[in-house]
Amino acid sequence: MRRGLAAATVALMVVSLAACGDGNSSSSSETASAPPPVNNVQPVIVDAGPLVNGQSLGDEDILFTTVTICIPGTVTCQSIDHIAVDTGSSGLRIVASQLALALPNSMNSSGQPIGNCVQYADNSYQWGPIAKADIKMAGEVASAIPIQVVGAENFPAPPADCTAGGTPAQTVSDLGANGILGVGLFRQDCGPACASTASPPAIYFSCASSGCSIASVSVTEQLQNPVWMFPQDNNGVLIVLPQSAASGALSVQGSMLFGIGTQSDNTLGSAQAQAADGFGNFTTTFNGTKYSNSFIDSGSNALFFLDSATTGLPDCSARSQAVGFYCPDSTANFTAINSGPNPSASTTQVSVNVAFSIANAVSLFNNSVNTAFNNVGGANPGAFDWGLPFFFGRNVFIGIEGQSSAAGKGPYWAY
Amino acid sequence: MKRLLAVLSALLAVALCGFAALGGSEESVMSDQVRFQASRRIVPEHGYRIHEISRGDGTLIKEYVSLDGKVFGVSWKGPTLPDLSQLLGSSFVEFKNSVHPRAGRRKTAVVRNGDLVVESTGHMRAFQGRAYLNSLLPPGITQEVVR
Repeated sequence: MRRGLAAATVALMVVSLAACGDGNSSSSSETASAPPPVNNVQPVIVDAGPLVNGQSLGDEDILFTTVTICIPGTVTCQSIDHIAVDTGSSGLRIVASQLALALPNSMNSSGQPIGNCVQYADNSYQWGPIAKADIKMAGEVASAIPIQVVGAENFPAPPADCTAGGTPAQTVSDLGANGILGVGLFRQDCGPACASTASPPAIYFSCASSGCSIASVSVTEQLQNPVWMFPQDNNGVLIVLPQSAASGALSVQGSMLFGIGTQSDNTLGSAQAQAADGFGNFTTTFNGTKYSNSFIDSGSNALFFLDSATTGLPDCSARSQAVGFYCPDSTANFTAINSGPNPSASTTQVSVNVAFSIANAVSLFNNSVNTAFNNVGGANPGAFDWGLPFFFGRNVFIGIEGQSSAAGKGPYWAY
Repeated sequence: MKRLLAVLSALLAVALCGFAALGGSEESVMSDQVRFQASRRIVPEHGYRIHEISRGDGTLIKEYVSLDGKVFGVSWKGPTLPDLSQLLGSSFVEFKNSVHPRAGRRKTAVVRNGDLVVESTGHMRAFQGRAYLNSLLPPGITQEVVR
């Protein structure tokens, strides 16, 4: 059963160089500094997710895309569907069981493989080696960039500094996806902090056969947000999803466009840009209280904000399938204000009102086979985590740190 | 011993120092010697005291200790998660059993059982969280001090 799944969802393809490239490179009149425009529109979808044992996982509000991965510099490639699109992280992570390519592992200066760890606040984690691959989406290519192979076999076990006592989330079933595409605000998953030799955090590890220990890893060897590695359209991302009905939708199709103001299809228009802080956070004001650790995360499958006592929204029963979500008797309507400095004039604050609704999650999930909901919520004490429902009916730009656009330099959000 | 600790309100550089578990004794704060490159500071408050443990990567762990020497709350903030199995001590199993990772891709953990409350939120580069035991809150001290 499992082998059948692997064959069905992971089609190993050897494709010609012409098919992998932009196929349109004959324009000799272009200046050397401006590569010819390529297709920058990558289809995305919210649906029932990857098949496991012949059945869709059926999680709600996960945004997926298909990514082509190649052994660097070769035409040995593989397309993997149902990779979760995550604006809350940076870098590509592929579940090892879905990877049919023998990608080269990255080695550190001591000749040891590099281990990478990502943790989540629910005390789960993903662990695995860093490997290098060419990443292709639409007409864009990121060449020989570091990615994580989640749960790779024949690799040392995760050290306690990574597990933090928690639970592995390393299978397709655990993730609800075949991998995670981090297209967030930052160039790397960690950045300069992990290149520090003094006291790097528990994100990168040097792995001897006897085990792995925390190590500093140069910024260039870290997991890279593929978008800023593209030769063009590399200053950010635009995610466009249509609105869905209050009762949800069976699936929702949209687009992820690369670049901001680099082509006619990704101009900022009337979108208002707000800078995020060094952690990717900004301030959400709700009922007069400011919550400064708030963030936008397409990888969160609901609007997670505050708690039942603060919002008046009852939690769903611990025995229901919707435990962790809010279950109001009737749909509740709210408005919050997101604010942050103007990225091109940091003394000016930019504020945007965000209206949203929270419906009863048990009713939504019970009454349909829908997978896309714009009105599911849950608790996140002390902050707003604007999950995938935020993206429905909105054009959301993600300005990558240090990359310039008409709105200024990232990290910023614009919508 | 306890009086001595309370007096030590200046910054102490402690090369090999662990943290006490939620519900544990204050003695365990100092005796629990794990490899945790950290500095420690003890801040006296009215009716309790806080042990602040920080390390170079920006992690800050606070342990809230009642005057009779019990750790009634812990909080954390930093680029990665601290080892919750150590920090939550004997409450860790209850925490783990109460978190439903399949219930949502929400990447947070909120546990509100009768006695044990755990709130773990944030994301890579910026985690924060707190835990406390209602039964150990000192008289006149509310859970709001644990943050």
